[in-house]
Amino acid sequence: MSAYTVIGVGNRLRADDAIGPLLIDELKKQDLEEVELVDAGMDALGILEFLENRDKVLIIDACRMGRSPGDLVLFMANEAEVMMEPDQISLHGLGLAEALKMAGSLEMLPRVLKIIGIEPLSVELNGEISKPVKEAMTLAMDLILKEVLNSQEHRGY
Amino acid sequence: MSRDLNINVHHLTRVEGHGNIVVNMKDGVLEKAHLSIVEPPRFFEAMMKGRSFHEAAIITSRICGICSLGHQLTSLVATEDALGLEISEQTVLLRKLLVHGATLQSNILHAYFLAAPDFLNVGSVFPLIATHKDVVLRALRMKRLANDIGDVVSGRAVHPITPVPGGFSKIPEKSELLEIKRRLLEEALPDGLETIETMKALAGAIPQFERETEYISLKHPDEYALYEGDIFSSDTGAQPVQNYLDVTNEFVVKHSTSKHTKYNRSSYLVGALARWNNNHSQLGTEALAAAEAMGLKPNCHNPYMNTIAQVVEAVHCILDSVRIIDKLIENGLKNEKPNQTPTRYGRGIGSNEVPRGILFHDYTYDNKGNIVKANCIIPTGQNLANIDDDMVKLVPEIINKSKEEITLSLEMLVRAYDPCISCSVHMLEVDFVE
Repeated sequence: MSAYTVIGVGNRLRADDAIGPLLIDELKKQDLEEVELVDAGMDALGILEFLENRDKVLIIDACRMGRSPGDLVLFMANEAEVMMEPDQISLHGLGLAEALKMAGSLEMLPRVLKIIGIEPLSVELNGEISKPVKEAMTLAMDLILKEVLNSQEHRGY
Repeated sequence: MSRDLNINVHHLTRVEGHGNIVVNMKDGVLEKAHLSIVEPPRFFEAMMKGRSFHEAAIITSRICGICSLGHQLTSLVATEDALGLEISEQTVLLRKLLVHGATLQSNILHAYFLAAPDFLNVGSVFPLIATHKDVVLRALRMKRLANDIGDVVSGRAVHPITPVPGGFSKIPEKSELLEIKRRLLEEALPDGLETIETMKALAGAIPQFERETEYISLKHPDEYALYEGDIFSSDTGAQPVQNYLDVTNEFVVKHSTSKHTKYNRSSYLVGALARWNNNHSQLGTEALAAAEAMGLKPNCHNPYMNTIAQVVEAVHCILDSVRIIDKLIENGLKNEKPNQTPTRYGRGIGSNEVPRGILFHDYTYDNKGNIVKANCIIPTGQNLANIDDDMVKLVPEIINKSKEEITLSLEMLVRAYDPCISCSVHMLEVDFVE
């Protein structure tokens, strides 16, 4: 089992929503050992199988946090209340918040579950990634690598 | 019955695209009953213009996380038709296997996570996790296997990468296919049979409502059509896919930014129920037994039974996947290179049955292999007029019920069609606990 699983969530066609998958692309170039990298795209329910039987999971997603575009926040999943959508009309209503709630009810959550939220400027369809979010990518990479590598150093303690 | 009734179910979906159920009745006269849709019209086409034939299917597969495979395969078929690219028997078999995986996944998720909560009147799947954990785990197990079929055959479950114009860029290993076969028989088949029992227990909650309409799907001479065939109307029979515009006849209505379609009547139905009605005799004995056990009969005119037809198809997909894997292995897996040398440039049309119904992609290429014109007609758009016609018949029939019951019946009706209203942004809304 990998020491850490990093999951990018989002739609590559929707401007800043692409940030999760794009960071996974960057991480794949890093030749990281014992790190499982997952581009979950838009299939939030598909995340469940990457939470189950994992020890540490880091999810990267564009999050509406009421901050400035490009702001990064690393938080434990239980530190924040993620909002469920009221939509029950289509499968698209099952998003990340619902997937995490389901994983919790099914006792599938990993021991450590952290989320890196990146405040988007735009999630317009077919839009370009915005300047503040693009600029945040370097910082986001540092943050992810620090999180993942620190965790490896402490492995076995 | 003289009654005033105003229902306005405002479904806030994701960032964009929403469906509202609107019903107005005054003095017992129905003035309005429809599903109002706001989704970004025609975004496919604008995105496709100027793209090369190598890119078309990759872009379309990313339009929607739920329907990615369907869009991708239909796009490939359209491109191959336009550029005159012949494909091998092995490619066709692998694509059919992918379609089965995608159909299994989508149908199971709809039946368990959207329809079952309705039948049990619990609002969402979440209360079911506490009371029926084994059932939820079963659904997730089936979803996972369906995903893994996608992983093995297409390289990646979410956005397939190996299906390309003219074939596959990578062929799965025999051992991987045999492992999928083992799990289909040892896990998915028992789970599928349990699913029939679960749905049988819930079938009593399916509303009794009948409205005969026109059922449109693909039809193939030798098999239950999902990947290929002619367009078949239950009213007027078969015609080639190339005539699709004569069938879809898109038109604009005031209450929806998504175009509606009609053919021989004011509306038609696509999806699992249409496929069942048109092609049920081509299913195997196990799928037919499943239909009988769950009370689904040929020529079923109850749209709520679409969910049951989906479960019947899930059984078919499990067993037919085994047959396809056997055939692939019997033929011997060949490390074929995709045929990507165009023999012509022009217009091509692709059509597949995706879980929600018949899908059309229509591309015109210039002589450099770039798209100059694209048209896509998705299943949910084709069902919208039919949903409206259902509502107009249904509301007067249930007018003696409470407003809440009527609203639930209408919501269940819309959900029975398994609509894919818009392709969402998976955006977390976060409030920090101070």
